Amino acid sequence: MIVVVGRLGRWALRQLGAVLGVSVLIVETVYWLTVAPLKGRGFRWRSAVEHFVEYGVRSLPIVGMICFLIGVIIALQASYTLDRWGANRFIADLVAVSALRELAPLMTAILIAGRCGSAITAEIGTMKVNEELDALTVMGVHPVKYLAAPKLLAMATAVPSVTVIAMLIMIVGGWVSSVLVVGVEPEIYLAQTTGAIVEKDLVTGMVKSLFFGLVICLVGVYRGFRVDGGAEGVGRETTASVVVAIFLIIVVDLVFTVLFYYL
Amino acid sequence: MKEDRHAIEVEDLVVAYGDKVVLDRVSFSVRPGEIFVILGGSGSGKTTLLRTLVGLMRPRSGRIAIHGQNLTAMSDEQQMEIRRKIGMCFQGAALLGSLSVADNVALPLREHTRLEESTIDIMTRIKLELVGLGGAGELLPSELSGGMRKRAGIARAMAMDPEIIFYDEPSAGLDPIVAAGIDELIRNLRSTFSLTSVVVTHEMESVRLIADRVCMLHRGRVAGIGTLAELEGSDDPYIRDFLTRRPAESDADETEWARSLTAVD
Repeated sequence: MIVVVGRLGRWALRQLGAVLGVSVLIVETVYWLTVAPLKGRGFRWRSAVEHFVEYGVRSLPIVGMICFLIGVIIALQASYTLDRWGANRFIADLVAVSALRELAPLMTAILIAGRCGSAITAEIGTMKVNEELDALTVMGVHPVKYLAAPKLLAMATAVPSVTVIAMLIMIVGGWVSSVLVVGVEPEIYLAQTTGAIVEKDLVTGMVKSLFFGLVICLVGVYRGFRVDGGAEGVGRETTASVVVAIFLIIVVDLVFTVLFYYL
Repeated sequence: MKEDRHAIEVEDLVVAYGDKVVLDRVSFSVRPGEIFVILGGSGSGKTTLLRTLVGLMRPRSGRIAIHGQNLTAMSDEQQMEIRRKIGMCFQGAALLGSLSVADNVALPLREHTRLEESTIDIMTRIKLELVGLGGAGELLPSELSGGMRKRAGIARAMAMDPEIIFYDEPSAGLDPIVAAGIDELIRNLRSTFSLTSVVVTHEMESVRLIADRVCMLHRGRVAGIGTLAELEGSDDPYIRDFLTRRPAESDADETEWARSLTAVD
């Protein structure tokens, strides 16, 4: 019994420490992103753009491919039920609403977490192991300014941008399988889609994806700075970074869904 | 002004990890333009001392003054300002792996100055020339040999024309000829720029070549300070054993010390 309480207590303390650590990181990153540039202490725009290309543009092929296939799949699956009532034209509504509200933001975030969240942790972790972070500090360059701030801006813009494109591609995927396989008239599908899209769904999808981007980046950076104990530590934190990021993405998703549609 | 006589002053410095005291009331001062060697065996606290001097670790108590300015009483912001006037060469050089050698050397200039890119280019070339890496600017750190990487690290430390430079084990892991080359570079930089140099090492060969004065650390305390000749004349048994490379008289004692440092609570 005492052992269990002790374990629980230590676990709670560790989580509290993590929350504190992440809070400090958030404050510092926001400072280097907003206050410091205004005080003339600089922001690494070039690095932010480079990272935007890496997180956004280079993620497009895989995100596009997967979202297209998911669009195809949802349409096929939906037709299984809707066909019985002769309501195949509502496949378009289903695909559009689920793409905008849920699937496009979620799939984009999970894929970018796997592609880039891990890379952020590995990069920063390796730099820590090689004393490169210490070298930056001694040179008077704050590691958060040099590494975290440009990445956060890049991630916060890249994930929503990719998400918009993913939404579109997913709807195209639904259109392709509905028209070619299920036999819905192309014009009817389009009319149903435009009728189903509500501005609020688009906005909530984008707001969610912005927060997904922040989660991916902050978890990646925090785990990277936490690396301890050589190459093995880098591997451990990199794996944890992806798992934790995906878990938090789902939690954030739930929170926003409740906020937007049930309050 | 009295302070100006010392480049670095350390008084009663105590550094601890948790309740393990790694440096215990360490005091010394470094004169401008001298090569001051911090000598000690493994676990003597010499690397911790260096990390504290450059501000990577906070001391528990005591005072560090650089050019008379008390570092320990400063905010992080002010410390960052002081750090721009010091250079540090890390044991593994710690070059940023994603940047070319030239970009590594240019990094402090790009971050701290508003110089034109062409000026930064010229200054970078000069610094690389200075350490004998004139043609290596476009290479990545991973393409350099160990000795060249150290030289690149020194070039980067010199980028902002520091008044004080710190070297962490500059000749560790290098073959004797390359190590001697680094020692010569350290001496040349000192004589050309009258650069105050603090070198942490455990290699006696290199100490004989470069040291003006030596501070011997043993178990987190200063065992002796002076020229190498003065230390060689010391009656402290540990200093004499270290300098003549004899095993410690009671080996069990050393094991006990190592254990006390690494013990788990």
